[in-house]
Amino acid sequence: MKDIVLTGRRQKKELWYLLGSFVIANLFNLGAILYYGSPMTEMFTSFFYVLLFTLFIYALTLIPRLLYNMLKKKAHTEVKN
Amino acid sequence: MKETNLGRREFLKTLGVAGAGILAATSPWLSAFSEVNHTARDRCRIGIIGPGSRGQFLMGFLAQNPKADIVAIADIYQPSIDGALKIAPKAKVYKDYRRLLADPEVDGVIVATPLNTHYGIVMDAFDAGKHVYCEKTIGYTMEECFNMYNRHMSSGKLFFTGQQRLFDPRYIKVMDLVHRGTFGKISAVDAYWNRNGDWRREVPDPSLEKFINWRLYGDSSRGLMSELGCHQLQIGTWALGKLPDRVMGHGGITFWKDGREVHDNVHCIYGYDTGESLTYGSVISNKFYGLEEKIMGNLGTVEPESGKYYFEEVAPAPAFLQMVNSWENALFEEIPFAGTSWAPETANVNKGEFILGERPKTDGTSLLVDAFVEAVITGKQPERIAEEGYYASLLCLWGHKAIETGQMLVFPEEYKIDYAPYGTKKINPATDSPA
Repeated sequence: MKDIVLTGRRQKKELWYLLGSFVIANLFNLGAILYYGSPMTEMFTSFFYVLLFTLFIYALTLIPRLLYNMLKKKAHTEVKN
Repeated sequence: MKETNLGRREFLKTLGVAGAGILAATSPWLSAFSEVNHTARDRCRIGIIGPGSRGQFLMGFLAQNPKADIVAIADIYQPSIDGALKIAPKAKVYKDYRRLLADPEVDGVIVATPLNTHYGIVMDAFDAGKHVYCEKTIGYTMEECFNMYNRHMSSGKLFFTGQQRLFDPRYIKVMDLVHRGTFGKISAVDAYWNRNGDWRREVPDPSLEKFINWRLYGDSSRGLMSELGCHQLQIGTWALGKLPDRVMGHGGITFWKDGREVHDNVHCIYGYDTGESLTYGSVISNKFYGLEEKIMGNLGTVEPESGKYYFEEVAPAPAFLQMVNSWENALFEEIPFAGTSWAPETANVNKGEFILGERPKTDGTSLLVDAFVEAVITGKQPERIAEEGYYASLLCLWGHKAIETGQMLVFPEEYKIDYAPYGTKKINPATDSPA
């Protein structure tokens, strides 16, 4: 079985994507709080929903990036041949 | 269902109070336990008249109470005697209850006989100087109930009735909340008890049919009103804090056409002069809705049987979930081509809260029996317990009368007793006659 190597650079990049997703999720929560007139304490009490949403956004970013990498790899192989 | 024996300490803990005094305004009968520590070494001697299924159920609690000795039983049915002796092997056995009442070693009696026999036994018991715990409904007629209550008052002997919900922690707590206005103005109490069964007991010999299945025959029972309704009607008056002044009802034998004389479905509406209503219904050919009393206020609803309450206004979901919900609706909502021009007011999806923070453990019977034991030892009648039982019995008999006559009846003034919580005053024809 082929080893998957996650370089330090890659790990750092993924953490930045995760942080970005977390910020976006919090912005959505803030927007919803303002829109529905809910108390600002929901910024903390809805933390687990935000965390779930963070993972969802992160997963969404994975799809185009995986596609992009696959296409890039395929093009690279074709050029090589 | 197995009944849990809830000790007094656990009982108060369950109610979340340091002592019963806090609930004295709503449930003053809890004073029965006020001297429980002083009576730790005392014992009382109890006789059981009618140790059938219900009698043996009560004996089970007495047998667990170190302050009670079951010293005698009286019954004419040998299987009941045999069953009772398994619980209290040392008890003296009498075939005639009057001999039990003449026994000086009996301090108090529990009467768990068929309804039509309560009156004679209870009156004889008071005359014999015994304290009395009588199963509900206390009398076969309103007049009997009135005479029994008066005999209790004149004899100075204790009178407990089998209204176990008075000692059920759920009801005690919830009535305190109701009376403090937590659920707003109570406009209606809707009580029902539905089962799907013929309500029959096995009869070893056809000649014993009326003796064993006495609940099914008109000369010994008032049917569902007296056997089931009595419990729940008391909840209505307890919650509303007053007596209704009129009643109408309907009943019939619609399914169990097996020779019985009492109705297998009954419904009554009790009305108050201030507009509130108390409804009671019982059907024994459908159990879907089971047993409940719905206490309905403008701020909330209580369902004490299931041990829950529900507020009308439910706190909105977190904004984040509302947002996700709106996205779901936008994505999946169907646009109706044609539909109703109105939306029915279907019940809200509201899971409610447990009254005691947990599922119900007991229905209060064990505590009611314990309270009787305490009262027999101290000789003190707990406040309001006889009166609550009296009026509960009257309400079910009055409702039964409305069903039988098919008329709307007004509460008979002559059966009102002095009872401040319901604002009733006994009418004395000599002094209270109209000018």
